[in-house]
Amino acid sequence: MTTLLSPLALQDFAPHDDAASPPLFEARGLTVQAGSLHERPVQVLRDVNLTLRRGQVLGLIGESGAGKSMLGRVIADQLPDGFRVASGSLRFGATDLLALSKRKHRSLLGREIAFIPQEPMMALNPAMTIGAHFREHLRRLGLSAGQGRKAALAALADVRIEAPETVYDQYGFQLSGGMCQRVLIALAFISNPDLVIADEPTASLDVTTQGHIVSLLRALQKRHGTAVLFITHQLRLAAQICDQVAVLYAGEVVEEGPARELFLHARHPYTCALHAAMPNFDGEWRALASPSGQMPGLPEYPMLTGCRFAPRCASAIDACLAEPPVLADCGDARALRCIRPGAVARNAEAENAETNPLSQSKQLAAAPLLKVDNVTKIFRRGGWLSRAPGQTAVSSASFSVAPGEFVGVVGESGSGKSTLGRLIMGLEEPSTGRILLDDKPLGGDEAEWRRRIASIQFVFQDPRAALNPRRSTLQLVTQPLQPGQVSRQQRRAQAEHMLRSTGLPLDTLTKISSQMSGGQRQRVNIARALCNTPRLLIADEITSGLDVSVQAQILNLLLRLRSEFDIALLMISHDLAVVRYLCSRVLVMWKGVIVESGETEAVFSRPQHPYTRELIAALPPEDISKRWAPLAT
Amino acid sequence: MSDEAQAPIQPWPTGQISGAGWAHLRAFGYLGLKALRNVLAIALQLFAVSIVIFFILRIIPADPLSMLTPGNATHEDAEQIRHAYGLDRPIYEQYFMWLGAALQGDLGNSIQAREPVTRLILAALPMTIELAFCGLGLGVLLGALLGLTAFWYRGRPVERVGETIASLAQSIPDFLWGISFVLLFGLWLNVLPFIGPIDPSMIVERRSGFLLIDTLLAGRWDAFGDRLLHLVLPATALAMIKVALVMRVLRSSLIEAYQDEYVNAARLRGVGEGAILFRHALRNAAIPTVALIGVQAAQTFGGTLLIESIYSLPGMGNLLITAIRTHDLPLIQGISLTYCAIVLLVNALVDLSYLWLNPRLRRQ
Repeated sequence: MTTLLSPLALQDFAPHDDAASPPLFEARGLTVQAGSLHERPVQVLRDVNLTLRRGQVLGLIGESGAGKSMLGRVIADQLPDGFRVASGSLRFGATDLLALSKRKHRSLLGREIAFIPQEPMMALNPAMTIGAHFREHLRRLGLSAGQGRKAALAALADVRIEAPETVYDQYGFQLSGGMCQRVLIALAFISNPDLVIADEPTASLDVTTQGHIVSLLRALQKRHGTAVLFITHQLRLAAQICDQVAVLYAGEVVEEGPARELFLHARHPYTCALHAAMPNFDGEWRALASPSGQMPGLPEYPMLTGCRFAPRCASAIDACLAEPPVLADCGDARALRCIRPGAVARNAEAENAETNPLSQSKQLAAAPLLKVDNVTKIFRRGGWLSRAPGQTAVSSASFSVAPGEFVGVVGESGSGKSTLGRLIMGLEEPSTGRILLDDKPLGGDEAEWRRRIASIQFVFQDPRAALNPRRSTLQLVTQPLQPGQVSRQQRRAQAEHMLRSTGLPLDTLTKISSQMSGGQRQRVNIARALCNTPRLLIADEITSGLDVSVQAQILNLLLRLRSEFDIALLMISHDLAVVRYLCSRVLVMWKGVIVESGETEAVFSRPQHPYTRELIAALPPEDISKRWAPLAT
Repeated sequence: MSDEAQAPIQPWPTGQISGAGWAHLRAFGYLGLKALRNVLAIALQLFAVSIVIFFILRIIPADPLSMLTPGNATHEDAEQIRHAYGLDRPIYEQYFMWLGAALQGDLGNSIQAREPVTRLILAALPMTIELAFCGLGLGVLLGALLGLTAFWYRGRPVERVGETIASLAQSIPDFLWGISFVLLFGLWLNVLPFIGPIDPSMIVERRSGFLLIDTLLAGRWDAFGDRLLHLVLPATALAMIKVALVMRVLRSSLIEAYQDEYVNAARLRGVGEGAILFRHALRNAAIPTVALIGVQAAQTFGGTLLIESIYSLPGMGNLLITAIRTHDLPLIQGISLTYCAIVLLVNALVDLSYLWLNPRLRRQ
């Protein structure tokens, strides 16, 4: 099935691919403004230039708040209230998208322009079967019910779903994230669109699933000759699958060019900073560096008179603050928005290069702090009378953590790694097996619970959910202190100490969590866990919701805290590179079983278990001359 | 290993068959099973309720005999009556006698009317059901319309107008609405009838007991119209509060549903705003509204009491008032039990409608 529904294209926009042909999609000087008349307008997107030719993949890279998704909203004519296009043009083939009526614009969506959303599990209506989604979509495209079902099943088979008939009758919530994304990709490609906009299509998926989805997307794109706008925050992923790449910072394209070139030789200080903040998986361990602070928010834009990156840029000079630089053509098919090209190299000094954890494993004490002895956890299903077999979340796990040791637990969602963390913390009871702290088994009574929380603390994944939104940072970080046992002054002193340790400014003390950035929230979350100086910190995916530069700050913070407090860390993460950066030892979990464990370097360079190998193969390699396994087929 | 390795959750034991219609068929089979479970649960709950009703009514210091015995009756006379009604036996024995008879549809005889309780209830029940049904239906219909309108024009003056209407409707209790309707439309404007269920001159053969149905069965369009006119005021009085509640809950759950990603995804597929509202958001937003309607439906049966009294309707409410005034224990018991049965039944229906509306609840 090469062309599913080719007659559906309303009009043929441009002659077929040819380097000299007019671009399929082009943004010129696109500026989006927010703010009403009496406020000072904020330029949410400023002077954005993008070109996408038929059959090409254009990567749009940036951290959250960079305006990546805003561009998608302009294309879909769905700017939020108060936002409008102030100047510039947006062309799709021969059509001027900005001049279209609402109705005409909408009629393009789902036909010539299709979207693949970020959160596949959320993007399917829970009250409609997969089939109902297709029926609705195909009816709009003008197919009869009979034809529609056939086309839908073919499209589902096309996205490598093995049992299309079954999936057709299922609901989104009965499928895994990867399956949902396949369904959505099938929906996007069924009209044989000219342009597909994929907004972080793999951000919420497991690494191996990410590989499948990306390879599928690439295959469909090639077969249909579709142009794809691929929005992502992963530089390495973009380097693998995109032809062209544009880097976005605070609503501006700061650098543009062929994906591989740009990846190998970044020119803009921000692109370089992204590189330096990204933990590497292959090659030598290198310390991460990240620009101080974070990306400015919309209210700060009007204050940024010059280059929007200048306040964080290591090589900024006074001229950088004077006026906004233009995106200048470098002559070699690349463009750069920086007045000091060449002044930057990847020389950002690492904050703590001497604390390479991989070389520290030998100095650890012999007596373990924590010992997990043959622990199994089975979750019962149904009511108390149910005889359904339980689900084994963790199966016969045994390992130990030495004082001051950083141990990583890697695996995909459903591998049982989070349950393992919760068992150690005491949030779940083991079905069988023991957990020993200082060689004494942890029991379930009140005194034992006190002993446990005095030594072990848990940092939850989502600080937004873990921090009470009505409490100030002062209250939050000193929550573990018993009321009545410490004076106000002591409490405040302790809070200030925690803020200094976690690198937060002191004025954070009076703020509530909604007044802080994601990175600051996660620091508060960590500070709270450290308040009573525990000896073991369990961190469950604490950087997965953060941008790379903020992630680098948090990872370096953890390394620094180790030398300051001598804490041990159990780092639960799906990100092998993060674990490699922090941990001297690693456990690989698969379906509740620890399938492989050992020194991080040994496990990752010579993986024994096929699952470990699969996990590693699913990572886009740093060395882009190597073929990434999912795209090799 | 990949996502394929994760078995999709199977909501029902799957057979080999799978096809377009089967999802629905299996869904109905499942609903049937649920319904059966609900019926059993209702039976159990009714049993428990019957115990409570029976014993509470024996504890309260109301002696039904004093109402029956003439003023000059001797102690022996009283004992005789007591014996005739079985009131001299131990209380649990009385209960089982009553329960045994009740299971056969015999709720005893009314002490005052000297008629079977069952017959009295069956005569009054259709009137109340008809009124409650119309009041609730009108409330839900208007509330949903108002809610949808307010949502569609969210952020515009229309929404504020709707909100004001809702506040007003909600802040006045239904019996006051009832009285003011009588004064306004009945007495002052004199446009609508407000006494009795139907014009007394319209005599229609009683078949189902529901006047709306009976008039139609008899082919009496004039009577049907007259019955409708008589229903307008009491039903509207009952509906007022429901209009406000339904409107508010529906609007806020629609707002919530619109924050969900699937709405955005549908929009990005080019689905029109109307289809997004009615096909995508409404069904998900309907769940809290149905929960509300369920609670309201149960309350409406109790709420008809004052309205029936105001509009002189011979329904359950008026029957209960009479029964209480005369300490007619068997009648009170019978009416209470009937109310309970109706409330339980409505709750069960609401539960089932959740399953229909929300496929996520179907897995077990």
